[in-house]
Amino acid sequence: MKLMSKPRPANTASGEGQRPGLLDRAGPRRELAVWVVLVLILVVLPVTILGYQFVLRPRLSEVRVIDIVAAAPEAGGFQPDAVRVPAGERVRLRFSAPDVTHGIAIGPGLGLDLGHVDPGQVKEIDVTLDRPGRYVFYCNSWCSPNHWRMRGTIEVYDPQNPDAPPVSQVSDPTLESLAARGIDIDAPREAGAVPAERPSVGRGAALVERLGKKLPTLLTDPEWRRTHSPVEAWASLVKAGLSEAEAWDAVAYLWVVDVDAERLQTARALYAKNCAACHGQAGNGEGPGADALTAQGAGQQGDMSTIQDPGSFTDPSTMLAGSSDIYYAKLRRGGMGTGMPSFGPIFTPEETWALVDYLWTFVFDAENQSDVKAEN
Amino acid sequence: MTRSFELTRSRWLTAVLKSRLFQPALMLLTMFFFVVAILAGFFGTPAGSHNFGIIFVWIVWWALLIIVMVPFFGRMWCAVCPIPGPGEWLQRRGIVRRTPGRLLSLRWRWPRRLRNIWLQNFGFLAVAIFSTIILTRPGVTAWLLLGMMSLGVALSILYENRVFCRYVCPVGGFIGLYSLTSSVELRVKDAQVCKEHTTKDCVVGTEHSYGCPWMVFPGNLERNTYCGLCAECLKACPKDNVAINLRPFGADLLVAKGRSLDEAYKAFIMLACAMLYSAVLLGPWGWLKNWADMATLPQWAAYAAGFLAINLLVIPGLFWLTTLAARTVARLRVPVKRLFVDYAYSLVPMGLIGWIAFSFSFVFVNGSYAVSVLSDPFGWGWDLFGTRSVPWTPLLPGLVIVLQVGLLLVGLAFSMFIAYRISRQHARTDAQAWRGTLPVSGFLVGVTLVFLRLYLG
Repeated sequence: MKLMSKPRPANTASGEGQRPGLLDRAGPRRELAVWVVLVLILVVLPVTILGYQFVLRPRLSEVRVIDIVAAAPEAGGFQPDAVRVPAGERVRLRFSAPDVTHGIAIGPGLGLDLGHVDPGQVKEIDVTLDRPGRYVFYCNSWCSPNHWRMRGTIEVYDPQNPDAPPVSQVSDPTLESLAARGIDIDAPREAGAVPAERPSVGRGAALVERLGKKLPTLLTDPEWRRTHSPVEAWASLVKAGLSEAEAWDAVAYLWVVDVDAERLQTARALYAKNCAACHGQAGNGEGPGADALTAQGAGQQGDMSTIQDPGSFTDPSTMLAGSSDIYYAKLRRGGMGTGMPSFGPIFTPEETWALVDYLWTFVFDAENQSDVKAEN
Repeated sequence: MTRSFELTRSRWLTAVLKSRLFQPALMLLTMFFFVVAILAGFFGTPAGSHNFGIIFVWIVWWALLIIVMVPFFGRMWCAVCPIPGPGEWLQRRGIVRRTPGRLLSLRWRWPRRLRNIWLQNFGFLAVAIFSTIILTRPGVTAWLLLGMMSLGVALSILYENRVFCRYVCPVGGFIGLYSLTSSVELRVKDAQVCKEHTTKDCVVGTEHSYGCPWMVFPGNLERNTYCGLCAECLKACPKDNVAINLRPFGADLLVAKGRSLDEAYKAFIMLACAMLYSAVLLGPWGWLKNWADMATLPQWAAYAAGFLAINLLVIPGLFWLTTLAARTVARLRVPVKRLFVDYAYSLVPMGLIGWIAFSFSFVFVNGSYAVSVLSDPFGWGWDLFGTRSVPWTPLLPGLVIVLQVGLLLVGLAFSMFIAYRISRQHARTDAQAWRGTLPVSGFLVGVTLVFLRLYLG
């Protein structure tokens, strides 16, 4: 059927008329008005909305709003992953998660943790960063096999000198000391001797008290203990006349003697959010992310693979061969291709040392540590 | 169907429908929301529950469409949909007025082989296999909406009238099929008047109205499928012979004329998609959702292959066997293909109600997001109406499952009734019709059990 040929007049051959409908008598003005409405919708509406949000609103608002999309690294990670703010200006960071649940925190040393941001949820926080420097917002809830890559930076610049290069990372004396001593923190380590049972801090405390001044002087120096492995301390104690088992107990005590309960509590929370995903809540290297890491390693080509399974802190053969400063360095610098991320930009040195102290509690039985400290 | 009530007896309603301003005014209103949805998709938060594009397109609009508009008003959405608006207004060189002369287009002829809804079937499937992505990513939704409008404009430049709506729009395809069940129809009052009326003003237009943009001759109209309820014929008819009627639900399903394989496949596709969506989006199988969400390309490819196979082969195949059984049991002397197509219309109520039941699950659960999104449509922290902080509150969580089960049982009964009536059209005796209904009823019970399994867990 042929359609839409020339329109016929109202009075057709059939003779019946037809009248325009209600509201149809306004003529060209009405057509013009409708076109104006259409232009308002298609042009003015978008321009108004976008102009207000991106031009006018930032000028009117007392606080600058920065929208950050928190997506799993496979889906792009943080978008944007770098923001620049002047020191002293209050900014509102609005995190939205489009894909899976993320945990958002900002560090180091700010104590800002927004908690979980569920898919579809938006969480915001107002922050004022007074000192120029570089801060990191990161995900602290296991979100994907590449979860640990999910980070972004906040560069805080001096408003008096906005073009100055960003404040560089403050040098770390522990890392410098290790480098000066020529210690390769990535080298595999194996303890020549391991305890038959988990060394007890409680028994160790009694032993050290009994030894009194017979305790090798080196072991009383906290700095020596930080830079030497437990197995080295164990050897000197055995030389001093303790049995092998007694020596391990004494080492256990000496390695946690300076750790108070509050510090341990802080470290436990940090570990649970940032380390347990790979290393496991029990420190045995069997966290939910371990399989993903193994799969990533398997995906790499032959001998070029450097990705390793997460280390086990409960395995004395490896754990007791390392020193606290090496673990500190690994935490801050990362594992250089092993899959171990760098936590230097996230934790303060103090938090890192607390975490190292906490790691010893996996290999040493420190359950009665606080009681022991109280008795001492 | 003779039992109907003419709504256009109301002079007020007739006056409104005859007004040239009525349809464009509603289209401009929906255009406003459409533009906001696209802007929200491109520039708003990617968090779907805080984005107007997701909440108002896939929850509010969808709920209105499938729960209210289609069952009660047929293709009413097509009359107010903003997508064909720009194309149609360009063709007409006007929005409200009846511009003299022919429509502005290159006047290509739409290929004869595509004068069916196969394109709509495949278009819907193409969208459906990406649905998990489209439904959750505002940007993708915005591209989809913009793409559909652009396609509408492009087709309106090439072809006269609403070729996009009639043959291409993936949404229009199922709205057309499911509007067979609706309680509203546009029909002529006396077909003889149309037959004797030589000028066919409803087709060619008058100085006050355009010819039917859906390329339908109202005088022959017996089903809702391709009537877009634009009311141009109502404006054009000099005999006052066009009416809008209230009629029993599903009346068109019993009209044998016009049944076709493309529409039958639309029924299979919609039924299969309702089940598959329920399984993917509501089921306990996280891996399935990940596959649909394109966790990896091979997984999605496997999902897409399975999805298409179930839609195009498994469900139609099972129904073919069902038809064979019905033909054998009832000893019907009708070609299998004819029976296959005809019986497929008994799946229409089941499919529509399956979609409504599926929609209840997320409309009740996530509908409250609309309140906060209304105040903060882009997720930028606006608070236009002071409702931005209204918390997410699932509505009547205990009632949803009751409604779903109740609806599914109603749908089952409705579909079985239609299956019997279709059987009766081919059977010589009532007993023969009952026997023919049995296998189809078995199929429908199976579908109902699948839905119940998905909703009840």
